[in-house]
Amino acid sequence: MSHFALTIIGRDRPGIVSEVTGILYQLGCNIADSSCSILGGQFSMILIISHPQLDDQKSLNAAFAPLEQHGLSVFLRTLKPGGEEHPDLQGEICMISVYGADKPGIVYRVARELGQKQINITDLNTKLIGGKDTPVYVMMIEAILNPGVEVEDVEEWMAGLKDEMKVDISVRSITPMEL
Amino acid sequence: MAAKEVLLYPNPILKELCTQITHWDDGVRLLLQDLVDTMVAAGHSVGVAAPQIGDTRRAAVVDVSHSKLGQKQENHGLLQMVNPKIIEREGQTVVREGCMSVPDYTGNVTRAERIVVQFQDQDQQLQVLKADGFEAIAIQHEFDHLDGYLFLDRISSLKSDLFRRK
Repeated sequence: MSHFALTIIGRDRPGIVSEVTGILYQLGCNIADSSCSILGGQFSMILIISHPQLDDQKSLNAAFAPLEQHGLSVFLRTLKPGGEEHPDLQGEICMISVYGADKPGIVYRVARELGQKQINITDLNTKLIGGKDTPVYVMMIEAILNPGVEVEDVEEWMAGLKDEMKVDISVRSITPMEL
Repeated sequence: MAAKEVLLYPNPILKELCTQITHWDDGVRLLLQDLVDTMVAAGHSVGVAAPQIGDTRRAAVVDVSHSKLGQKQENHGLLQMVNPKIIEREGQTVVREGCMSVPDYTGNVTRAERIVVQFQDQDQQLQVLKADGFEAIAIQHEFDHLDGYLFLDRISSLKSDLFRRK
């Protein structure tokens, strides 16, 4: 079975999910995994879809054409075999909360620090909160720590950034208790 | 005596109210041994309740002594519990729990911080003990299974309390 990554984004309004899933249903596609949310004023959908017979992206693209006419941007990508499979990620999970007065580079500097240490970011959300005169940037990062790396180590890596960027950073374990 | 297959939701046995064990025979001892074997075989587990292996009698085992979290606290080692009951609860804490019977998700569950629990042990002796920390949470989670509750029954919000494993 072929799998595709489908991304759809457009100005938020009622009916987007219905239009998209209606087309998928008519095509006979399965929605294997999805995440949809409002970012700014845009509704964004990311879906991993599959079809038992269709392996040709062209016929799918044609079916999505009406969405473009309704103001949505559609991007479809064929996954390589196995690209739909969920990796078995092992290790302690930690949540890194970063917040402070808005300034350029907050996301990049924290992500660079983690990337250099080969830490896998599995979820990232940012939001601008606070008033117009005092915007506050908030970022939540979920990351999986490699064997041998403790939450305290991440705290230590972040300590320097905290001073340099003048932001608050806290790190805590959110590894579930396996029962 | 053997490690059994752990049942996954939506198997209906996981939602059954388990029955008191009144007649003690070798079957009870065998059940406890199966629970211990299953817990050990599932390397990451710190407890198993009877319905998870398809048996609807009120029995569960807990052993946090081999886990990272359990080793940080004083604990009672292997507990084999028949007809268990929580007789006192104190404090409240929110923990993220994962369950072998609901493998794809984890959830934030509110649990008592400290409990006093009463049960019959593998020798049919009545035991009363205090548990706290991770051990108390594991005990509460396993006892929930005996009443047909999963952590999904304990979360308050799908949006903020339920997490898909990455």
